[in-house]
Amino acid sequence: MKYRVTHTTKFHYSQPVGVCHNKVHLAIRTLPQQTATHFHLAIQPDPYATIAQKDYFGNRVDYFSIQDPHRSLVVKSTCNVEVRPIQRPPEFNASAAWETIAAEIALRRDELTLNAYHFSFGSRLAGKDPKYAAFAAESFPPGRPIVEAGLDLTRRVFEQFKYDPRATTVSTPIDTVFEQRAGVCQDFAHLQIACLRSIGLAARYVSGYLRTIPPPGKERLIGNDQSHAWLSLYCGESLGWVDFDPTNNIIPETDHITIGWGQDYIDLCPIQGVFVGGGKNRMDVSVDVATV
Amino acid sequence: MQIQQQGSALNTPSVAISSVLSNYAPPSTGFDELLGPNGQLRSHWKRFAAVINRVGGEEMSRRWTQATRLIHENGIAYGAYGDPLDKPRPWELDALPLLIPQAEWDRVSAGLLQRARVLELTLADLYGPKKLIRDGILPPEIIFAHPGFHTALHNLKPAMGRYLHFYAADLGRAPDGGWWLLSDRAEAPSGAGYALENRVVTSRMLPEAFRACNVQRLASYFRALRETCHRIAPRHQDNPRIVLLSQGPSSENYFEDAYLSRYLGYTLVEGADLTVRDRQVWLKTLGGLYPVDVILRRPNTADCDSLEMPTHWGGAIAGLVDAASAGHVAITNPLGCGLVESPIFMAYIGVLCKTLLGEDLLLPSVATWWCGTQPGRDYVTANLDRLVIKRAFRRRGQERKISEQLKNLPKEKLIQRILASPNEYVGQERVIRSTMPNWAGGNVSASYVAMRAFMVATVDSYEVLHGGLARTSKELGSLELSLVAGEGSKDIWIQAKEPPQQDSLLKGRQDPVKLRRVGDDLPSRVADDIYWLGRHVERADSAARLLRAVTNRLTSEAASHLRSELPMLLRTMADQGQIEPGFVVEGIREQLPAIEENLPISVFDASTSGSLRSMLAATYSTAARVRDRLSADSWRVLVRIDEQFRAPESGAWDLTDLLNMANELIVDLAAFIGMMSESMTRTQAFHFMDLGLRIERATQTATLLGNCFRTGQEITGEILETLLQVCDSLMTYRYRYLSNLSSVPVLDLLLTDETNPRSVLYQLLRIKDHVDRLPRTETQPTTAEQRLLLAALYAVRMLDIEAMGEKHALGDRRELLVVFEKLNQHLPQLSQSITNKYMVHAGPARLLSSIDQVRMAKT
Repeated sequence: MKYRVTHTTKFHYSQPVGVCHNKVHLAIRTLPQQTATHFHLAIQPDPYATIAQKDYFGNRVDYFSIQDPHRSLVVKSTCNVEVRPIQRPPEFNASAAWETIAAEIALRRDELTLNAYHFSFGSRLAGKDPKYAAFAAESFPPGRPIVEAGLDLTRRVFEQFKYDPRATTVSTPIDTVFEQRAGVCQDFAHLQIACLRSIGLAARYVSGYLRTIPPPGKERLIGNDQSHAWLSLYCGESLGWVDFDPTNNIIPETDHITIGWGQDYIDLCPIQGVFVGGGKNRMDVSVDVATV
Repeated sequence: MQIQQQGSALNTPSVAISSVLSNYAPPSTGFDELLGPNGQLRSHWKRFAAVINRVGGEEMSRRWTQATRLIHENGIAYGAYGDPLDKPRPWELDALPLLIPQAEWDRVSAGLLQRARVLELTLADLYGPKKLIRDGILPPEIIFAHPGFHTALHNLKPAMGRYLHFYAADLGRAPDGGWWLLSDRAEAPSGAGYALENRVVTSRMLPEAFRACNVQRLASYFRALRETCHRIAPRHQDNPRIVLLSQGPSSENYFEDAYLSRYLGYTLVEGADLTVRDRQVWLKTLGGLYPVDVILRRPNTADCDSLEMPTHWGGAIAGLVDAASAGHVAITNPLGCGLVESPIFMAYIGVLCKTLLGEDLLLPSVATWWCGTQPGRDYVTANLDRLVIKRAFRRRGQERKISEQLKNLPKEKLIQRILASPNEYVGQERVIRSTMPNWAGGNVSASYVAMRAFMVATVDSYEVLHGGLARTSKELGSLELSLVAGEGSKDIWIQAKEPPQQDSLLKGRQDPVKLRRVGDDLPSRVADDIYWLGRHVERADSAARLLRAVTNRLTSEAASHLRSELPMLLRTMADQGQIEPGFVVEGIREQLPAIEENLPISVFDASTSGSLRSMLAATYSTAARVRDRLSADSWRVLVRIDEQFRAPESGAWDLTDLLNMANELIVDLAAFIGMMSESMTRTQAFHFMDLGLRIERATQTATLLGNCFRTGQEITGEILETLLQVCDSLMTYRYRYLSNLSSVPVLDLLLTDETNPRSVLYQLLRIKDHVDRLPRTETQPTTAEQRLLLAALYAVRMLDIEAMGEKHALGDRRELLVVFEKLNQHLPQLSQSITNKYMVHAGPARLLSSIDQVRMAKT
C-alpha cells in the first residue's frame, strides 16, 4: 500500500506566547516493511531553526523553537510511505514458549537481545505491577507459544476494555484505565505493555497512523483519520519484534504506518513543547492518511 | 622562635595530654582519633595538644564565644532561608579539627583519585558503547532499572571530554585504623563551601595551632576548580560568563551556593534567570540577554530541562540539553553524572577497577551486596542484622526519608519488600566509625566522625581538596543518612611536614582582570527582590517609628487619653495594618486598656501580614533571596534584627520593654539602611533598592500627613510635634523655628522642602534620579514611569505652602488633601509600572502536553 500522510496540529492562544521550544516525533521511520520518502515539516510562524536528530531508540526527532511572540502555532508534517506485508518465517505459527523468551532476554548480552531487555523494565507510563502480571497470566499459561499468547492477551484487552475518548486524557495513569476498563488506543497499548513487562517480557510502545476505511457506501472524510498507538512484543531471535493492536484486536499489517517506538508515549509524543505565556489555549489535530 | 618553643614543649612528657582535653574519655567501640589503645595521645596530635594547652581553656572559651557569634551571624546553616517562620538551623561547628598526617592523607588521596577515574570511565562506557554490560561485567539493570539513566542524554558529549568533573566521597575510619569509602557523590556534590567556611572560622580561632601544625591550604583545589570552569567554556575564552545554577533559597544547599558563588566570583542564578535562545543559554537581565558560557550545576539532572525530561520543578530550563549538545554551553558536573553515585555501583567497584584500570582498589570500599542477584539477595536476607539496607538507585534529595523508613521497618516486612522488588535494594556492611573529642565551649565529649573528601577534574587528572568536611554525631547510624545528618561539623587539617607555601585563597588566574564599572547584567528576578527589600525595610522602619511614638505616649506620665495625637497615630497604624481598624473608632478612652494589652500582641503576631513582626520577616526572607548582593555586615545586622525583635519568652514584660525594643529596632534598621546604601556600588542593584525605599517612604509620609490634616482633625501642637518625631525631623525643626510649632513650617519641612531627606519632595527627586537611569529599550523620549513621576512631582511642586497656609487657617484644606490623593494614586501606579516593565519578565513555563486536545468524534 502507498500512502500520503498529512498530520496537522494547530495551537491557539488567547495571549501571545513569548517563546516556545519544541521537540516533535512526526517523521515516519523506514523499516523492512515500510519505506518513507518526501518527509516535510512546515511550521508557522517560522521557527528559529529546525534540527533533526536521532533519539536513543533510532527515531528521528525534530527540534525547533519560536522566539517571537505568537498567538498560534501550526505544525504540519507530510510524508509518503509505502507499506508492504511482513514476510513471517515459518515459526510464526509455532513460536517458542513465552517463558523461554523471558529467560533468554534476561541472560543474553548480544545487541538485539540487550536492546530488547531494556523494554522489559517498567517506565513512567507503563510500570510493572503484580496485578498486571495476574491479568496477563490467563493468556500466558506455561509453555504457550509467545505469538499465540500475545494475540490472546490482545483479544482480551480488546474485549474487556471499552473504547471511550471521554474516559481518559493524556495524563490518565494506566491504574485508572485498568480500574474503569475504558480508554483510547494509547491507554490500551500502555496497559498491555505493562502486562507483558510484568511477566518478564519485553514490550515497546509504537506510535503511528492507521488508515481508516469508510463505512460501505460513504466517502472517506479527509482529515478524519487519527494518530494511532499499539505495541510490539519481542518474540525471540528469529521472529524479532511482533506488533499487536489491542484497539482493533489484530496483528498490524499494511493498514498500520509506524512512526517509531520507545518505552512509552513520553518517548514518542508527536509534539512536545514548553512555552511561556499564552493565557487560555486550545489544540486542534487533524490527520489524513490518503492512499495513492 | 615560637615554633622552637613548641618543639621544646613537645618533649615534655607532662603535656602528653593537654589539660584542655584532659577529661576526654572515648568509648571503647572503635578507633579513637586522639588517643591510642593505651590512652596515650597519638603522635600527630602532640603538637596541636601542646599549643592549645598553652592557649588554655579560658582563652579557648573566650575565642569560642566570638567564633560562635561569627558563625551564627553569618548564618552558616543548611536550613532554608525562604520561610521566615522557620529559623535556619545554626551550623554547629566544633573548635577541634580532625587532624590527619600528610602520609596518611596521601594514601587516601591516591585511593580517591583511582576511584574518580574508575567512575569516570564507567560513565563514559554506560553513556556510550556499554561494553561493560555486553561483556557481563555489570548487570544490564544497572542502567535499565535506573531512574537516573536518561535516554535523552545519549547525544551529549561532556565538556573537556571528561565525564566526571566533580567527585566527592564519604569516608569513615574502621576499628583497625584504615579509612573506608562509604559512598560516592557524583551528581553535584555539596559540602566544599562548608569546608571552606569551617576553615575560615577554625583557623581564625586557633591561629597558633594552625601555624604549628603546618596545615595544608585549601586554595589549590579552588584554583583548580576555577581553572576547570574557565577551560570548559566553549567561547569567550578571555572572559567567559560562568554562573552557579542554584536550586534556590528553599534548597538546603542555598547557603553554600551563595557562599561559593561570591567566593568564586560567579553569578548566582536560579533556573528562572536563564533562557535558551538560538540553541544558546542566556541570562535574563535588566539590560537584556547576556550569553552564558558555563553552568556550574547544582540541581539534579532530571530537573534541568523540562523539554527533555518532564519535571514539575519550576527551575527547569527548556532546551538546555539541546544547547549543550550543540556545544554552546558547558555544564559541570555534566548532565547524567549522578548515575554512578547509586549504591548499586559499590557492589561492582572492585571488578570495575580491575577491568577498567587493571588495578586493585587502593582504598577499601564498604562491602555491598545487590539484591538483584540470587547470591546477593540470599546473603542480604540472611544477614539483615549486620547490614544497612539502602535503595540500590539513589534519588538525590529523597534518600533521607526513605532510609529512615527502611531502618524502622520490622525484619519480616523488610524482607518482604526486598523480595518484592529485589533490583531496588542493596545491603551494606555496617561500619563502626572512629571517635574523637568535641570541645563545645569547654565540655569535652566523644562523638563519631564522618569525612567528606572532594575532587575536581584538571586537564588529565583530578585535584584533591587537601582538607574536607568532617561531620560528627553522638549516634552512629545518623551519619549515614545524608550530608545534612549529624549534629556537628569540623574542619579537617592535613598536617604537612614543612610549613606550606603562602597561598591566598583569593588568588585567581594570572590574567589581568578587566575593570568594569557597569552592572546592568542584574538578573530581573534579583532586581525584583532588591526593590522589595527596599520597600520592606522602609515600611518596617516607618512602622517602628509609629510604634515608638504610640508606646511612648501610652507609657508616659501624662494621662494618655488626654493626648490628642493618639487617635491620629492609631489611625495610621491601622492603615498600615499594624493593628485592627476597630481601635480607631470613636471613644479612645474606652479602648485604652484594650490597646495597651493588645498592642504587644499585634506587634509580634506573625500570622497577620501587617504586623511589624511580619514586615521584618518579609524583609528577612527577601534579603535572604539576594544574600549574595548584600555585604556581610548588613546581613549580620539583619540576622540580629530578626532574632531580637520577637516576643520575649518570659511572660513578664510590658509596654516599657516594647518601647525599648522599638528603640533598638529603629537604630538597627538605620544601621542596615545606611550600610546598604554605603556598601552598594551605584549600579542597577542600588537603583532598585533605593527606588523601593524612596517610594515606600514617600507613601508612608504622605499617608501620615494625610491622616494628620484630614478634614475635621484639629491641629494641635502635640500633633505637629508627633508628626515631626515620627518623621525624624524634630531636631531640624527646632533648630530652624525654635519651639514655635505651627502647621505651615511643619508642612513645608515634611512635604516641600527638598533639602530635608525625610520630606516627600526629596523622595520624589531621588525617585526621578533613579527612574531616569533605568535601562531603556524604547526610543520615545519619556517613559511611562517618568510621566507618572512628573505628575506626582508637579502636584507637590505646584503647592504654594504659604498661600495655602492662609486658607488653612480658615479651615480649608482641600488643596492640600488633593495633593495627598494624587500621591496616593501616582505612587502605586509608578510601582506597578516599574514592576511590569522590568521584573515580570516571564510567566511560568508550561508544557504543551498540558493543553487538552480537542478530541474529534469518531465517526
